[in-house]
Amino acid sequence: MSKRGLAIVGIGEVPTLRNPERTRWDILLDVCMQAVRDAGIDKNRIGAVISNNPMAQPAMQNDMSLGKIPEVMGLEGCRDIAICNAGGASTTNCLRLAEQHIESGQVDFVLIPHTTVQSDIPPQDLINFFATAPLDKQFEYPYGVTFNGSMGLITQRYMYETGATEEELAAVTVALRAWGALDPLSIFFGKPITLDDVMNSRMISSPLKAKECNFLADGGGAMVVTSWDIAREMGDKAVYKLGHGTRFMSATPFLREDVFHRKSYRESSQDALAQAGLSIQDMDLRQIYGAYPYTQCSALEGYGVCEEGQGAKLWAEGRCGPGGDLPCTTMGDATGRGHTGSGVSMAFYLDTVRQLRGEAGERQVQNCEHAILTTSGGSVMNTCTTVFGRSAK
Amino acid sequence: MSDYKKPLPEIQPYSQGFWDGCKQHKLLIQHCNSCDANIFYPRRDCPKCWSQDLCWVESSGRATVYTYTVTLEGVEEMFVDDLPIIVAWVDLPEGIRLTTNLVDCEPEDVEIGMEVEVVFKDVTDEITLPYFRPVKS
Repeated sequence: MSKRGLAIVGIGEVPTLRNPERTRWDILLDVCMQAVRDAGIDKNRIGAVISNNPMAQPAMQNDMSLGKIPEVMGLEGCRDIAICNAGGASTTNCLRLAEQHIESGQVDFVLIPHTTVQSDIPPQDLINFFATAPLDKQFEYPYGVTFNGSMGLITQRYMYETGATEEELAAVTVALRAWGALDPLSIFFGKPITLDDVMNSRMISSPLKAKECNFLADGGGAMVVTSWDIAREMGDKAVYKLGHGTRFMSATPFLREDVFHRKSYRESSQDALAQAGLSIQDMDLRQIYGAYPYTQCSALEGYGVCEEGQGAKLWAEGRCGPGGDLPCTTMGDATGRGHTGSGVSMAFYLDTVRQLRGEAGERQVQNCEHAILTTSGGSVMNTCTTVFGRSAK
Repeated sequence: MSDYKKPLPEIQPYSQGFWDGCKQHKLLIQHCNSCDANIFYPRRDCPKCWSQDLCWVESSGRATVYTYTVTLEGVEEMFVDDLPIIVAWVDLPEGIRLTTNLVDCEPEDVEIGMEVEVVFKDVTDEITLPYFRPVKS
């Protein structure tokens, strides 16, 4: 008996922190139990656990890959487990696999967890991880290319082609931190910054300054998903997936013709919106996981929210931050919430659920009925765009 | 030269020709005899047509800077003495884009579109890396 559609019915998340005493398993168990309780179901109704791969943490990866979660948590109805790794797009792949399980009729509820602790990993090891995992070990690594450097290269070209200024791009980070400052789950809760703070922060890889680069943190989240049919019977907690589109560009940044990912954002969003039967103007919230400021601009250009090259202006005019008429990335992205490895995408889905439920507190987007969300993995190898709504078609 | 501490390229069998060329101070681009594609980075099969009939053609080594970044911090220990490092993507007329370092120039003199040329550095007895420097006008 096949069941149609995917809905998120339970969420759990811990605040992003840097605290090695909060272990990976503590985070994992807390978020999983929160999500199951939030869904209001018995733990034994979880039919599968599909984990987001915890990057650069091989022991935890092993536990999650080889079935420890249902065993430790006593999930007696669990029929199978899996793990998905596509870097920052891992959560998206967990959702795709969950949907397949649910639509096949094998499973009613799937638990999708993530946990990451980076504060116990030496900084040099993390620099090495981000310089070697998503970049080319033969033709980039010998030249001292870092992940920040790689994104600095793209940002420099973006400014050259669009005329966006360093101040306009700095406004993106100010807005993201403003969202984070209003969010108790962000490591930057209560800590907004000014344009001067960004502009005066240390240059890391020009034109990217310290405040524009990712702050590596610990965190975790989980969701419980089910079919539309079951979700409808569970009341107004459910958030429905209405459409999805995806495009791959390249693993290695310098091999990418679509260097700012505009075409990829455009085509993936058009596919997702067409499936949903909606237009970009119907979206009340745009959630963009790009981890670096230029993506917050080029995604709006790709979505068709503005003309090519005008994205940074929208941010500089304050239209995308708190109080703006085009709220974007209320989750704060990695610069406004802390970068939890592959878990940033998890937090994006969770925040989208909160917004559509009306549970986003001071960050709440008014009358939030529809949201568009894009995740990316690796060095922005792909754009995975999903449209969610408060009700199913 | 054996005290070179920075990472060396992880050479694969099908990229050996590129690195052999560097050792002779030649910038070799992989070329497909079947579909005429120029290929970078080197691979076993042509990514356009999957032909294995591949050869090497020598590039003039002239290029233009597509973009660049000056890295001041956040590198691994073995790169610290090199800071600031100018990383650039340079476009060869053969339709190839490479990641490299710009050398023999100051960070403030770099700009997008500037003309550069390849310069080889023998970093170990076995490995020569291609870098680029501004073309003297």
